[in-house]
Amino acid sequence: MSEPIGIATDVSLPEVPAPSSTLRWLLLVICGALLALLFGSGLVAVQLLEQMYGQQQAVTHALAERTQMLSGLWLSIQSYNQAVQQFVAQANVERANAEQAEKTRRRLDQLTVEIDEGLKSYPSDRDAAETALLDGMQDVFYQQRTFYISVLAAKPEQRRREAQALISQNMVPLQKQTLNWSERLRTWNGQRLQQADQSLVREFGTLQGRLSRTLTISFGSGLLLMLVSMAYILRLERQTQNRYVQLARSQHELQRLSARLLDAQETERRSISRELHDEIGQSLGALLVDIGRLSATVSNPPSQVRAQLDNMKSVTERTVQAVRNIALLLRPSMLDDLGLAAALEWQGREVSRRSEIEVAVESDNVPEELPDEYKICIYRLVQEALNNAVRHSGARNAKVSLEHSAQSVAVRVSDDGHGFDAGRTRGLGILGMEERVKRLGGTFTVESKPGHGAMLKAELPLPPASPDSL
Amino acid sequence: MKIRVLLADDHTLMRAGLRMVVDAQPDLTVIGEANDGREAVAMARELKPDIVVMDIGMPSLNGIEAARQIRAGLPETQIVMLSMHSDEGYILRALKAGAKAYLLKDSAEADLARAVRAAAAGKSFFSPAVGKVLLEDYMRKLERTGAEDSYELLSPREREILQLVAEGKSSKEVAHLLNLSTYTVETHRARIMQKLNLRGIPELILYAVRKGFIS
Repeated sequence: MSEPIGIATDVSLPEVPAPSSTLRWLLLVICGALLALLFGSGLVAVQLLEQMYGQQQAVTHALAERTQMLSGLWLSIQSYNQAVQQFVAQANVERANAEQAEKTRRRLDQLTVEIDEGLKSYPSDRDAAETALLDGMQDVFYQQRTFYISVLAAKPEQRRREAQALISQNMVPLQKQTLNWSERLRTWNGQRLQQADQSLVREFGTLQGRLSRTLTISFGSGLLLMLVSMAYILRLERQTQNRYVQLARSQHELQRLSARLLDAQETERRSISRELHDEIGQSLGALLVDIGRLSATVSNPPSQVRAQLDNMKSVTERTVQAVRNIALLLRPSMLDDLGLAAALEWQGREVSRRSEIEVAVESDNVPEELPDEYKICIYRLVQEALNNAVRHSGARNAKVSLEHSAQSVAVRVSDDGHGFDAGRTRGLGILGMEERVKRLGGTFTVESKPGHGAMLKAELPLPPASPDSL
Repeated sequence: MKIRVLLADDHTLMRAGLRMVVDAQPDLTVIGEANDGREAVAMARELKPDIVVMDIGMPSLNGIEAARQIRAGLPETQIVMLSMHSDEGYILRALKAGAKAYLLKDSAEADLARAVRAAAAGKSFFSPAVGKVLLEDYMRKLERTGAEDSYELLSPREREILQLVAEGKSSKEVAHLLNLSTYTVETHRARIMQKLNLRGIPELILYAVRKGFIS
């Protein structure tokens, strides 16, 4: 039962439209775009936030610096004013204390330098409003200083006389002005902070808008992606379903076709066999009888006639044998004459006669009332299996056995040949056997390993016995 | 008195040939022709022939089954079976159905008269080619399986009895011929069957044919 000739049974399936590649590409592009969009907007948002943070830091820093400087400046100017007032007051009380006056003057000079420097080093973006404010402050200070210089330059008596008036007339308004200017600077700083805050808020708003736009687009394209994917999946599912249905249908039809082929083959074989046997076989048989009678009738024929008669007889006999063999091959008449068991035994002996394999047939338990298609199936299966064994296995012995139960009949053909890989090699012969067995709802198994012979088994469920059978 | 023969064959040509052979013999006569097995059984019951020459393969009822039915109803009627096959499956089943003679169709015209006469006398008859084929099958099997020829196990007396039984003689006849008691013959017969691993007279006859004791 070796089957070294593995024949690929390539059955081409009906053409099914392939899923569209455009859709696939579209999905891929949308997916890519979505990812790029999300990544890009994330990157931009991070950059913007960083920038905003930097701006805010700068603004806060600038404000702190300005406030500090302003405080320092204001403190210096206050000190200056105090010093001037002190000086004027001193001039009132102790005129002799020149040394003290000199000290105060030096202090005032020093404060002047400080204030000048403070004004100069005031951190400024040098925009018009701030410059104007600083200039205003400087002007006030210069007025103060001018006033102070004028006071210094005055004679002590005059100073003493006018001091109170001078202070009340000049110092106080100037001081007020200074306060005023510094207040204005402070206010301006506050405004700037507010401005910066507002611009930050604006920028944040822009960022928010941009992000929400991006998110909207992402959401939209995600939705689109989902819809398209779903459509794609549904389409694939439908196609798969169609394909499966088609496959199942074509498989079913193939099975029906092969069953009908087998039926047609058997019917055809049977009719040809009958024709051969009934017509040609019988005519030849009659011819043989005639030849026999002819040679009996002609007494002492010339040797030439005798030779011709003998030749006619042997040719006819050979032809009869040939016709008989062909007829038997087509339809084993022993199945009809003697039943399955005898037919299997006959076949076993035939194989033993013409091959090197000795076939043992165990057919004690063969039911004779089997339906014809079961007999044919088992007979053909054994025939094919033994033929395979003869052709490929190199076996010395083969065994055919039948087992019969109420529900099924099982046939087993085994040999002690060199076997084959049953998992891989499936020749047409085995396929044909399998097909026959399947047709009757049976199971078919091949067990073989290289070097371990082969065993072929078929089990056919018996049809429920009908009352008119037997 | 002529031996009355019923011919049963579904082929007209074959039947005509057989009829010519039978009718050519002075001691034989054809009393009827049946076209299939069922008809053969019916005609046999009606005509009660001495011999039915029957084709093994016939429609509606095959020769084996027809022979069985005829033998069941008419134990005096003997069957000469005609077949194309010299296969032991056929021969054994024909014998089990009660056939006395087994003829190959190829040589029917030459052996028919002898077969009919032998069967009418209660003796077995087989075409010479049959024994040859059976022997070949047997020898090949022995050779391939390495088994021994069980015939060697038989004693000369047993061989003698085997031959006589196979020829169709009853234990009583054998006992009379060999001057033995029937009981002794029965014992010998049982031993023969055991030694040769045979089940029943048909298998014994087949064995004898194979060995060339009968033809």
